[in-house]
Amino acid sequence: MSENNLVVADIRDSFGKGAARRLRASGQIPAVIYGHGTEPRHLALPGHQLLLITRRANAVIELSIDGTTELALIKDVQRDPVRQVIEHIDLVVIKKGERVQVEVPVHTDGESFPGTVATLEVGAVNLEVGVTSIPQNVVVSVEGRNEGEHVYAKDIVLPEGATLLDDAELLVVQIAVPAPEETDEETADEAEAETESE
Amino acid sequence: MLIPRRVKHRKQHHPKRTGQATGGTKVAFGEYGIQALTPAYVTNRQIESARIAMTRHIKRGGKVWINIYPDRPLTKKPAETRMGSGKGSPEWWVANVKPGRVLFEVAGVDEQLAKEALTRAIHKLPLKARIIKREEGDA
Repeated sequence: MSENNLVVADIRDSFGKGAARRLRASGQIPAVIYGHGTEPRHLALPGHQLLLITRRANAVIELSIDGTTELALIKDVQRDPVRQVIEHIDLVVIKKGERVQVEVPVHTDGESFPGTVATLEVGAVNLEVGVTSIPQNVVVSVEGRNEGEHVYAKDIVLPEGATLLDDAELLVVQIAVPAPEETDEETADEAEAETESE
Repeated sequence: MLIPRRVKHRKQHHPKRTGQATGGTKVAFGEYGIQALTPAYVTNRQIESARIAMTRHIKRGGKVWINIYPDRPLTKKPAETRMGSGKGSPEWWVANVKPGRVLFEVAGVDEQLAKEALTRAIHKLPLKARIIKREEGDA
């Protein structure tokens, strides 16, 4: 990612679920930052701004803590699965020019042969890239590909300077003809009979 | 219909219905999914009914994943039976679904068709649910 997002962070000095809940109620998100041999620091970040930033995978933010600025990579986001609010964020300290290991989402492009479906077997691949050039996604073209064709990790065209960390033979996209709708009444009856007999 | 082939105990206690789902809360395989918003016992018949509703609407192309499995038996005593005399006989197989759980996923179809298919599936389920899309921002 090329652009940096400036976020003003406050140092957090009260801990526990009560303090965290009060923080969230005031529109902030509890966070922690660590890495590069530094002691973990507990922060409070602006909620809405982080909500917008975390919509993109592997966002890099420029943190302003007590007047000093430093770069950080969003390592983990904990969300409430129902309300979709961010509960906590893990940040990793990074330096300009450093290379980092990130999980980059895979997208498919184009239409496979009529009657076939391109299935993404893995949603993301692990890459090692420079912090200032983290790609938002990698694109796999399935245009005109026919049944039985496979796209492996080694076939993905990576952005310049990126190194693949996954196994080169990792199956990424598979082109297949969808199975016809199952008429599985017989198999269900068989299974039921087996279960009842035990 | 989904049904366990072999179980350790034929008659179990009722599964707990409190709390939220702790895993399986994101779209993992497909592009769109159904996420539960209320707790429910989803029977194997309801799962099958929802699957048929989806696959028939999609017609051809597309792939459907079922992320839940009805592995818990529920028992029922016969009608007009006096209390006692032991636990009833297994009547249903259910999946214990908690809020946040992704139940079904779809891929390989356009957004509108996927949403229509998933809406039809939601109508077959005994819970409130919403349609969610695969997210990228979760680092």
